[in-house]
Amino acid sequence: MAARVKPNSGKVIYLYGVTRKLVTPVPKVPAVDGAAGVEALGCADLICWITRVDRSEYADNLSANMENLDWLAEASVRHQRVVAAIAAETEILPARFGTVFLSEASLEADIQSKKKTLDRDLRKIKDSDEWGVKVFGVQPKVELPRAGARTGKDYLKAKAALLQRRPTKGTDADLIRFEEELKRVAVETAVGGKISSGQRGLQWQTSLLLRRDDRKRFEALLKKFSKEWADVRQIEATGPWPPYSFVSRDDGKQETGT
Amino acid sequence: MATSNQIVFSGTDASDETSLLDILDHVLNAGVIIRGNLVISLAGVDLVYVGLDVILTSIETTRQYMQGKALPPTKKR
Repeated sequence: MAARVKPNSGKVIYLYGVTRKLVTPVPKVPAVDGAAGVEALGCADLICWITRVDRSEYADNLSANMENLDWLAEASVRHQRVVAAIAAETEILPARFGTVFLSEASLEADIQSKKKTLDRDLRKIKDSDEWGVKVFGVQPKVELPRAGARTGKDYLKAKAALLQRRPTKGTDADLIRFEEELKRVAVETAVGGKISSGQRGLQWQTSLLLRRDDRKRFEALLKKFSKEWADVRQIEATGPWPPYSFVSRDDGKQETGT
Repeated sequence: MATSNQIVFSGTDASDETSLLDILDHVLNAGVIIRGNLVISLAGVDLVYVGLDVILTSIETTRQYMQGKALPPTKKR
């Protein structure tokens, strides 16, 4: 545990998340800024995982930097890699990207003020990971008109007709049944992310908190539906994620799907 | 890694564009909020948390960007 950051110094404290246990050695992964190291800091009987970063970049100009997608992509991937490295060793409540404090005292005070909620969330995520599930409609194969088209106009008409074909649709009832069966396997579910909601062909998505012991049941369920939907839909699963979607928000509420 | 034609399992590293989207979804849109929107210049308040309005703007910017073209690849320093 390192020296204190004085208020108004050139460094601020970037928070990755909170754990109950100290992980030793501290994971050797690049920090959010790509330079400084990751540190463990005791706060309110919990462990805060932090990096001391440049104040100008991560506090004074943070909003502007988050509008710069090159900067945001690099920093958010590093944030995730640090959180994932800690999550591989112990349960972590991941902080949202851009959580920065000017002093250890203010960090500790905030953690202390949320201690009950953090303790409750740490119990909930024990032995669990987050998984993302997306269902995509399968696009029909578009074959170009054969040599039968006599003129260029015929060719373009035939091609346009093929391109206007819609993806084969299964029924909404199938998706509801899929969602219900996933809920039976999961500890909790939560609504899917907003950024990837614009992906082409995406019909439905969710996030699940899944006990590690239930992973085989989860995979079996995905395989069952992927077989059933063979030419209709494709299922994409990502994970295991740290439980970003299953921690309480500032008001103690959570955007849950259950 | 794909396990069959109709089911795709992938990890959580940004090895492709899809994973980067998912990472942005998770780190921007979820996670513990330790405290709400505060302004660092206020006397006696020494916490900086990027406000919800900034997060929402950032998400919207990313969505608009995605509609036009792929996200920029991550650069290695």
